[in-house]
Amino acid sequence: MKDNKFVFYLLIPTLFFITFFYVYPTVYNIFNSFTDLNLFKLRKGGNWVGLDNYIDLVTDPEFARVFFNTTFWLTIVGVFVRITLGLLLAFLLNSDTLKKYRLTNIFQLLLLIPWATPSIVAVVVWRMILDPQVGIINQIIIKYGIGKEPIAFLADTSFVWPSIITIITWNTLPLVTLTFLASLKSVPSEIIDAARVDGANKLQQAIYVKLPHMVPSIIIMVLMSTFWTFNNFVFVWLSTGAGPGTFTNVMATEVYLKAFVDGRMGYSSALGIVMATIMTVFGIIYLRLIIKRNLKELF
Amino acid sequence: MVYEIAILLLAFIVFLIIIYPTLWIFIASFKTEETLFSNDHSIYTLDNYFELFESGFGLFIFNSFYICLVSVLITIFSSVIAAYAFSRRRFRFKIFSFGSIMLGQTFPWIILVTPMFILFAKLGFLNNHISMIFCYVAVSLPFSIYLLVGYLESIPRELDEAATMDGCPQFQIIWKIIAPIMLPGIIVTAAYAFLLMWSEYLFALAFLTKTNLKTMPLELYAFFGEHTTQWGQVMAASALTTIPTLVLFLPLQKFISEGLTTGSVKN
Repeated sequence: MKDNKFVFYLLIPTLFFITFFYVYPTVYNIFNSFTDLNLFKLRKGGNWVGLDNYIDLVTDPEFARVFFNTTFWLTIVGVFVRITLGLLLAFLLNSDTLKKYRLTNIFQLLLLIPWATPSIVAVVVWRMILDPQVGIINQIIIKYGIGKEPIAFLADTSFVWPSIITIITWNTLPLVTLTFLASLKSVPSEIIDAARVDGANKLQQAIYVKLPHMVPSIIIMVLMSTFWTFNNFVFVWLSTGAGPGTFTNVMATEVYLKAFVDGRMGYSSALGIVMATIMTVFGIIYLRLIIKRNLKELF
Repeated sequence: MVYEIAILLLAFIVFLIIIYPTLWIFIASFKTEETLFSNDHSIYTLDNYFELFESGFGLFIFNSFYICLVSVLITIFSSVIAAYAFSRRRFRFKIFSFGSIMLGQTFPWIILVTPMFILFAKLGFLNNHISMIFCYVAVSLPFSIYLLVGYLESIPRELDEAATMDGCPQFQIIWKIIAPIMLPGIIVTAAYAFLLMWSEYLFALAFLTKTNLKTMPLELYAFFGEHTTQWGQVMAASALTTIPTLVLFLPLQKFISEGLTTGSVKN
């Protein structure tokens, strides 16, 4: 019993923040999602409308677009690109050639640079790089005759998603790569030697020996990248403002637009609850995984 | 040999692309509107920085530093004691409380804005740095606890169990024995939390409307919106926002790799 009391003291600060920052807003949003609360009629309060907001949501064609953008572009494409490039880069950094010339450490250091660049700065500098007038990419395109007209990367519907994915990938790739590199370095050398003795070439060693060993960290990184991008507001909002039009509107920006532009707080809450529910499902998978793999002895 | 050259060439090109954007921030920040795209490299100037400071950018740097440092300290204090409880103690509702905290990582921040706005308005915390510190500690706690629990698990229990038997007061065990051993983990966690807070935009946008209270990311983006063509000054402001995190992160390279290995990817 004495132990329980001491543990409680240790958890007080954390529980305080969790309660006010996560539990209270969730309860508030669940309640609001059943009302027609409007930003411009806040004093009037909201009337109980039952499931109307949720029904509106599934029948709204804009929601279909928002849902597709969030799951397909932002999450599936975004995460796939990051994981693939992260793996390739980790193998490159860990290659015998770079080790031989003692370049692994210096490149690992350089890799921290995009990560240490605040995301807001990442968006600003990439908007300059992708700018139709002053951006270096368009200067190269014009100079070497790759295209005749400069491309408005963040306003042209055929380029805007790849551009956003590029910005996010650049900023978040280092963490993924370093995690994979750490996992790659922890592959026991006896297994690799054994494979080499059996005549496996470098590619075979990578695919059949090293990659299987990295599966746990790949799964964890897939889940973590999913949380970080599915919920992300800043990258899309600052890169394109959900535009052109609402072409790149995602769930986080739609929650914002519905609440603060259209004033439909109730609808916005319903959307937020849908978001949180989807993420909780992923969250529980993630939780079971980390507890089973890393923290088994704790419970 | 050809293979080696190909690998080296590939590595150099890849890393040039990786560091180019950040490098470009610094190069462009020393150029004026006229010289931005000329190839004459002799005309670098500090004018952009002088103009920024004259327009009062220093205040936003101070605001950001102050908010982030206080928040990091509170985060570290709270997460070290919580991580100790989860790693070393058995208690009721352990898995439930740990799970609830971890789910905070998966939470969409955007849905917090309205309820927190209303709560802060009632408490009189709008346009007050307390509200920012509160939010920043809350968003960085779940991942910090995760990292620190992972790190603590890599430290043998015998170390602190011996101290418990010696009759050392419990709080002292944490600060005198546990905290020093887990210092690499604490440093990584602090760096991670600092970066998260330093570049945070959404909460600052929602809860700070008075100019003299604003943080750097907020002012940087506002400045960018107003002076889209003055790239030199925008890049100088970007450089000032990036320098603290670069200075903080690069020397910590060893710790960060170590913290990641023992924390999140222990196989």
